[in-house]
Amino acid sequence: MTTLDFEFKKKLDKIIGGELHSYCFQCGACVGDCPTARYSERFNPRLIMLMCIMGRHEELLKQDSVIWECTNCYNCMERCPQDVKPAEVIVALKNLSGQQGNQPQKLGDMVKAVEKTGMTGQATKAINKIREDLGLGPVKPAPTQEILKLLE
Amino acid sequence: MKEKLEYTPFFGCMITTKYPQFEAAVRKTLPLIGVELTDLDGFSCCPDPIYFKAFDKEEWITLAARNLCVAEEAGLDIVTCCSGCTATLNEANHLLHESDEILERVNKRLKKVGKEFKGKVKVRHIVTVLRDDVGYDRLAESVVKPLEGLRVAIHYGCHLLKPSHIMQVDDPDRPTILEDLMKQIGVEPVEHEEKILCCGKACMDEHIPLEMTRDVLKSIEDLKVDCMGLICPTCFDEYDLGQLMLNRKFKTNFSLPVIYYFQLLGLAQGQDPKEMGFHRHKIKTKPVLEKLQLEKVP
Repeated sequence: MTTLDFEFKKKLDKIIGGELHSYCFQCGACVGDCPTARYSERFNPRLIMLMCIMGRHEELLKQDSVIWECTNCYNCMERCPQDVKPAEVIVALKNLSGQQGNQPQKLGDMVKAVEKTGMTGQATKAINKIREDLGLGPVKPAPTQEILKLLE
Repeated sequence: MKEKLEYTPFFGCMITTKYPQFEAAVRKTLPLIGVELTDLDGFSCCPDPIYFKAFDKEEWITLAARNLCVAEEAGLDIVTCCSGCTATLNEANHLLHESDEILERVNKRLKKVGKEFKGKVKVRHIVTVLRDDVGYDRLAESVVKPLEGLRVAIHYGCHLLKPSHIMQVDDPDRPTILEDLMKQIGVEPVEHEEKILCCGKACMDEHIPLEMTRDVLKSIEDLKVDCMGLICPTCFDEYDLGQLMLNRKFKTNFSLPVIYYFQLLGLAQGQDPKEMGFHRHKIKTKPVLEKLQLEKVP
């Protein structure tokens, strides 16, 4: 017998876009046009929505969860007749997964870079030289103090 | 046509620090079609719609809102040249307009740095500025050397078009904007079966993005095109550098040059390929320049 975990649903509902999973009526319109579903046997946005409804948080939020295979292409949002925005629900799941420290290493590195420099790419001497050769000025620094304050 | 076409450019991280040739191409081609770019201080990473958004959506909207405020304070609309920045800034702008609750929470945070989102700024992907503000006629008038005979496989990428209710650029299933832009500079756009397939870059799996890249390149393979033409630096990354990785992994032999639209526009305007950074690509662009009989091949 399956037990629904409503606590998880409440947590998911608190993240912007996460609450939309409740509207899913499992039609599967999101699956046919999903590029990841075309290439991955385990990725199915309809099933991910079902797992949200059922509160299967352990599978959804664990390290190497299937949610990280989403390409963020938004095809599912174009197709969904219920405005569930499955890609946004998956983003909300990623937020929760990260809160448990289960996000991929690459994601943590990118976020740290933004916190430190306000940018994901870094303006090295080499890149500024290339820019100069192309007739461009150096990369403008981002206001890191403001960024840090906002992320406090 | 509007009297003065002035915007503030938002080039983002990837273009400025990885593919500055795209920035160079934009900055050198726009003056010839009457567009003025006014640079502002104070922008940060948009922040990126994949990693940062996956980390914390509310912080993502907040940092995006701060960038929107910078433009708003200057009274200028933003023009973006990267589909990722376009996605972040447009989506954040949309959410802040759509939900008073989000707006209130974000403005509470922004207050800490003396900013307030008022919602007066528009975010435009640069191709829409070309189509809607400059107009195709004026664009075509800037061409001195039409790129006749150049067959280009168009690739759209996802975030220019979708979510379509937010982006409102073109039909997400049957877009024509890039083909139309290509035709203005004499290029022959060539359809390929996978022209709207995602490049896969955001998928955090080792194999899936490469398989997508392979299928896109395979769908172009027999069409006798000279290059691929696109407007997204993330797609570019996946198809230019990605081709090398693909060749290594699958022992394939792809060598299709990948060109950003404004680089082609620059050539059509008679500008030097080197100024457009044609020498900065992993997949050599020499065959394209040779076909166009541009003698000085870098």
